[in-house]
Amino acid sequence: MANTSMRQSTLETLGLGSVLDIFARGQLPVTASDLVDEVFGEPARRGSLVISGANGIVGAGKAMQLGSRLRPFDVPIVALDFANAPDGIGKHYGGLVRAFGRERASKIMEGITRLSYDGKHLPPRLKDSQPRFLLEAIPEVLDIKKSHYEIFRAEFPHIEIRSVTSGFPSSQLGVPIAHPAFPHEVNKVWEIIEPQPSRITQLFWALGLIPTPVSDHWSFVLDVLFCGLTLAGLRYHPATNMPFWKIDKYIRRQLGPNPFRAHDAIGAKGANFLTWSCLHHLAEHYGDLFKPTEDLDQRRESGQNWYPPNHFRPVVNWKMQDGEQTEFEAWISGALIQMTSLMLHEARAHLSHLNIIGELCAQFRHGILADIRRLGADAAINTVHAYQVLHPQAAKSAWYPDVFEQIEGVDWQQLYVNAEHDGSVGVITVGRESYNHDVDAELNRAIDWLKAARVERVIITGDFHLSTQMIGADTDDFFPALQDETKGRDIARSWSETARRLHDEFRCSVAFVNGKRCLGGFLELMMHCHYMVAVATAELGMPEVTLPVVPGMEGCHWPFRKAKPEEWPRLLGLLLTGELVRANDTVGWLVDYAGPVNEALKTAWKIVTEREHDVPRRVVEDGPLKGLGSQVSDVAGPSGSDADAARRAIVDTVLASCQATLAESIAIQAKHSARFMTGEHCRRGVVGAAFKKTMTV
Amino acid sequence: MKSGETMLPRARIPYGTWGSSYFPAWQTSPLAEVNIGQFAGEASSRILGIRKVPKDELEYLVIGSTIPWHWKFWTAPLVSSCLGKRLPGYHVEQACATGLQATLVAAGEVQNGACDVVGVVTFDRTSDSPVGVFPERRSYERTVALSDVWDNFGFDPATGNAMITTAGIAARKYRLDRKEVDELAFHRHQQYFAAKESGFLGRFLVPLEVLNVQGRALGTVDEDTGVRRLTLESLRAMRELDNCVTGGTQTHASDGMAMLLVTSPEKARQLSPRPEIDIQFIAKTEVRTLPSLMPEAPTVTVQKLLERTGLTMKDMAVVKNHNPFAVNDAIFAHVMEYDWHNMNNTGCPLVWGHPQGPTLTRVLIEALEEAVDLGGGYVLVFGCAAGDVGIAAILKVSEGR
Repeated sequence: MANTSMRQSTLETLGLGSVLDIFARGQLPVTASDLVDEVFGEPARRGSLVISGANGIVGAGKAMQLGSRLRPFDVPIVALDFANAPDGIGKHYGGLVRAFGRERASKIMEGITRLSYDGKHLPPRLKDSQPRFLLEAIPEVLDIKKSHYEIFRAEFPHIEIRSVTSGFPSSQLGVPIAHPAFPHEVNKVWEIIEPQPSRITQLFWALGLIPTPVSDHWSFVLDVLFCGLTLAGLRYHPATNMPFWKIDKYIRRQLGPNPFRAHDAIGAKGANFLTWSCLHHLAEHYGDLFKPTEDLDQRRESGQNWYPPNHFRPVVNWKMQDGEQTEFEAWISGALIQMTSLMLHEARAHLSHLNIIGELCAQFRHGILADIRRLGADAAINTVHAYQVLHPQAAKSAWYPDVFEQIEGVDWQQLYVNAEHDGSVGVITVGRESYNHDVDAELNRAIDWLKAARVERVIITGDFHLSTQMIGADTDDFFPALQDETKGRDIARSWSETARRLHDEFRCSVAFVNGKRCLGGFLELMMHCHYMVAVATAELGMPEVTLPVVPGMEGCHWPFRKAKPEEWPRLLGLLLTGELVRANDTVGWLVDYAGPVNEALKTAWKIVTEREHDVPRRVVEDGPLKGLGSQVSDVAGPSGSDADAARRAIVDTVLASCQATLAESIAIQAKHSARFMTGEHCRRGVVGAAFKKTMTV
Repeated sequence: MKSGETMLPRARIPYGTWGSSYFPAWQTSPLAEVNIGQFAGEASSRILGIRKVPKDELEYLVIGSTIPWHWKFWTAPLVSSCLGKRLPGYHVEQACATGLQATLVAAGEVQNGACDVVGVVTFDRTSDSPVGVFPERRSYERTVALSDVWDNFGFDPATGNAMITTAGIAARKYRLDRKEVDELAFHRHQQYFAAKESGFLGRFLVPLEVLNVQGRALGTVDEDTGVRRLTLESLRAMRELDNCVTGGTQTHASDGMAMLLVTSPEKARQLSPRPEIDIQFIAKTEVRTLPSLMPEAPTVTVQKLLERTGLTMKDMAVVKNHNPFAVNDAIFAHVMEYDWHNMNNTGCPLVWGHPQGPTLTRVLIEALEEAVDLGGGYVLVFGCAAGDVGIAAILKVSEGR
């Protein structure tokens, strides 16, 4: 039977096949080493990456990011800029040292050659480095960019060019685009515009970056969302007089980002211009929905911050009065939903990309499509209509309510979780780094889909693309549980029930950990599979004690039921210290196999296809466990009264849930976890602080 | 001037676009800890937001304050920045006449065609008032330190007398009876509490939460703290500080802000939640009396104003004044043969305090609200100011235009 999938895998948008193919072949579709050879030439004739405008914010950031990732392959990097450009690269060196240590940072810098030019003629020495790939990050002036490409093409006819442009379409520039997200030295997301997925894009993927193909329109998905959200806040300001700093806090409570704080943090002068420029071009093409406001016009000129200066920290608070919250939601969400309708109408990207970009790059608590899905088509359309009543000019153009007719379709319903199968083996992929209610619902639907196809054997893993790690439960979902124990119990219980489906409803389930780390709630989810296979270098851990919270997805008894009594202290140590361990060091008591990536892929496939393998299946003990004593005093971990309390609560949970039957333990674990969440220790910790900072405005 | 003819035909106060903070007594509220100019700017923006007036409508700003505040050099442009709109403008200062004077000069800006919408933002913080250090080569100390509020209250350099002394001198001149002054003060308190309990004050006084430097709530200014429910017996039992002046028959220092708009008639109709209400400026005047007779100055000023306009006290629907001493009202009633029970119907500075800059702004707002309740009419607003000065103005409220 041919492979089939719930929806298109995002990996396929990069021309890299399906996740099922990766397991079936036992190897990744491409390797960085092969692609470096293709893009830059064999080691003996290795050409260079040229970054022009290298001292700018984007250029310098990308010189650091690509410099560090290409260093193992000895790809020379040429940082090209005007002689009088301020030293943007040197400014990043401290960050490089913090990330890699002084020695590696120095090595990375050794690979970067800085050359100056006059903007019209390339320096003769550039030839020595055999440029193969130009990443253009010069100012946003179309004619200057075009002539820049011409002088490179005249000298190096076969050079690959990508522009990082902040808004011009590829059709205007005449070159493909690789538009990176801020902050440039660390953010892995690039929006890619090119006719077909190129080797450069695939190389980015192989280097651990997150390229996301988008269509060739003015501006980018992230920019429409972020600049659009800024604009929505800007429009609310004159309508109510609410100061920007307070609008920012209400936006954060509603959606997650602080658009005005972000402008100030990036540097208001540059950021104000870029936002204005993005909106200005969008307004020219799509009408008043995107028209910059007078305030933005002024601050583009002045570069003035949006928050008051330190000596004028606000003294008068603003609180919304009755009815104002609904109007605020219309101003903010209505604008965003309308802008999203435009992007959907233009089919700007795979829906998972369109959804996740805001989360990965702009601090959206949920993807924009996930939020619209939760609202429902009718409510989303009504929100836009309410917005258009407040801002009638927006109704004139760029509004496509029909796009929400598809909201019940699988592309909308499976934004984070996909499933593929070949008739007998299924793969469930999770494209979100933290587990939340959306992932939980989608995972259940994926399991249902596989069960409906009578697939009895399954691998669950990351999506090899958007999710490069699994960092645990999304603690934002715990906010309601801070005040209501039943809410916490419901979350823990329902998520545990989902996890148990991986154990109970498949003949064979394999958890495959392929990213950098798998922690907390995600590790609890994965440990429910019959087998856990991991890349040897992946880090595993239960950091709940450091927050502090008590694990809620059965991490306090499930692994104990699978491990030998002599391994229990290790599991207890994992829970009580919060420290991370290499997968390689946990074989037999946490994971069942750990090895190099291709070996791990092959092993997972052997297990799931029930071919010959030597990985024993550890059985989950149904009955109460005996002989599990409290060892809390022997385990070092985070200090302080809150951590001490969490350790005691975790030990209590371990004892209570392990001394019960498997059937009983799900409720016991949920009760303990929920009870701790409503207590003072949790409220004082990371979750409580995040709640206070975000939700109490 | 003919009877009822307006002196500023182009200027209006748009009904319901105004607002004031409560006036907490000095050192009793978070206002004691803020830059009052910044507070006034931010509070004005909040008030306009509540009144659904976009701050972008403002073209010019007149600010009024009497006590130096941090960065006062930057005057109206700075306050307007705190309001969230970069405006030109200037500062008006005339002791307790400031609020009315600032409103009148704003009306002048509209009348002369310079702009259509002028904001009037008045404020003062008597708490922790600054101390000025003045090099004075003629003084034997060579350098003089002066606490801005209390040293000025205590000493008029032109006469050598304290404010309170002017009340005593005026009470003696008019042979006031302590018994009547106590009864008057008692009545004023009853008027205030009746207005408060009826919800009248809540129409224009806006509770404002004040933040500390970390952005946490320092407290909410939602009371005229310091106002006590005095009994007539307790008033009578109070020690006399000067003739007819006790702790209960004089005002107290307080902090606060008050703001309103002055606009063209068209803008008034556009911005007011009740465009059918028309508020015009009829006339204004000022008088300076003989030395140390400040409490009689308002009365003399009103006499002059009535004479100039041809109007009489019988024409006035609302009579309201700034009365730091109950003596002021008693003198006014005796000279004008006007029953003091019929004025200051919703409260007055004698009761709710004396933050100087915004005092007469709040008096004016209260008077206009009262006139609207009465269906319109002439509104007489007046008061005294440091230097034995009186100021008085008549406005006209009409409905149904």
